[in-house]
Amino acid sequence: MAAFLAAGAGAFAVGFWVILSEAGVFAAPTLYGPAGGVSGRTTFGVLTWLIVWAVLHARWKSREVNARSVSSATLVLIVLGLLFTFPPVWAIFG
Amino acid sequence: MLFSDRSLWTMFHGIVLSGAALAALVAALFFVLATRPAGAAPVPLTPRQARWLSGATILAAVTLWLVVIVGTYVVFPLYRVPPPEGATDLALYPRAMLLADPATAWLHSFAMEIKEHVPFIAAILATGVAAVGARNPATLVNDPRIRAMGITLLTICLGLVSAAGLLGTFINKVAPLQ
Repeated sequence: MAAFLAAGAGAFAVGFWVILSEAGVFAAPTLYGPAGGVSGRTTFGVLTWLIVWAVLHARWKSREVNARSVSSATLVLIVLGLLFTFPPVWAIFG
Repeated sequence: MLFSDRSLWTMFHGIVLSGAALAALVAALFFVLATRPAGAAPVPLTPRQARWLSGATILAAVTLWLVVIVGTYVVFPLYRVPPPEGATDLALYPRAMLLADPATAWLHSFAMEIKEHVPFIAAILATGVAAVGARNPATLVNDPRIRAMGITLLTICLGLVSAAGLLGTFINKVAPLQ
């Protein structure tokens, strides 16, 4: 279940860095000039996902988790991540 | 030359890699759905079935990462090259070409913006399923909660990749990388 929840967190993280950038709060640095800001936003999102996954994997290795709660949280995180990458939503935060 | 390097990269990204990712996602979804337990008893997977199930989920994740890496670091930079000062023919500068016409500007501000980020989410979700499918394919088939999540995430991935592919087709139709 750690892989699933981490995937949800990763989806949210991608959206989170995008919406921060679009709202003018924090722009992840451009890591590859020709690609522009997307290289920083997505790299930050991927790194956040990998860190969350590693932490969850370590903590849940020998622990029973409530599958229903994990599934619900995963879906909520995915929906939020997708909403934050949806350009019409940026206008609300921009 | 019939096709430029730019055009070939676009086709490689959009048709070869994205097409392979879509096929692998459908295959993975099919394997999980087709091995549905008839009752409460778990379905024993043969080594071959387990290999195919693992293989399909891993292939989906790997191809999706290739799609986003090639898309972000090869095709997108070609798409967003700014035209030189005073250029009137924007055929070689797709981003500028789309933004120059109010009727097509949405293809950048909506379609391309979605394509920049959403495929990363699809790749992350597919990797989550692949991690479970690779480590324990029998759990992906037999544990009702994990199975449901696997099917849900693969279906979301399929929807996201299809949508991104469709938007890419629209963009390439109006402002192709020539």
